[in-house]
Amino acid sequence: MNTGPYSSQEVQKSIEQRFIPLKSECFWDKRTDLMNRFLVKWTPTLLILDAEGKEHHRMVGYIPDDDFLAHLELGLGKIAFNEDRYAEAGDHFQAVVNRHPKAGAVPEAVFLNGVAGYRRLQDPKPLRLAYESLSERYPQSEWARRSKPYAQIPLDE
Amino acid sequence: MAEIRWEKDFSAVQKRAKAEKKPIFLDFWFDG
Repeated sequence: MNTGPYSSQEVQKSIEQRFIPLKSECFWDKRTDLMNRFLVKWTPTLLILDAEGKEHHRMVGYIPDDDFLAHLELGLGKIAFNEDRYAEAGDHFQAVVNRHPKAGAVPEAVFLNGVAGYRRLQDPKPLRLAYESLSERYPQSEWARRSKPYAQIPLDE
Repeated sequence: MAEIRWEKDFSAVQKRAKAEKKPIFLDFWFDG
């Protein structure tokens, strides 16, 4: 039975179509090999892994539907980013912003979109644009503070 | 409705993921 965020049709569709879904039960008094492998200390712990089993994104604790969908998209973006597929990564990060504008994952997606743009174009302007967006729309986020060094990058060259 | 068809075995999931070229969504849960 699908409960919690899994009761949402949109969440179900996203997981079923875009991932191979695996549920692994936790036993605190007799930890499983998978719990130890992925250092699971609390539930729910939700991981997005590549096909080789390497972790790219982690969510811990209850997550509401829209935040959940944003994290799924962010995780796909991180896989593409970590595998040097920067255009695809940028598409996923932008989709987080466009489809889930109120989700908590958005500032991180904006930041990583800037980095992916820099990697793809070999041009630092996307980093400056990420700073501009974060400082204007999410000034209280840690990601806005992380992007502050990019404020010095000129846009007119 | 696209009910999620959960796998339970990590090795089987890795084989499927490689064959279908899809990432893995892994949910650690506790039945308190």
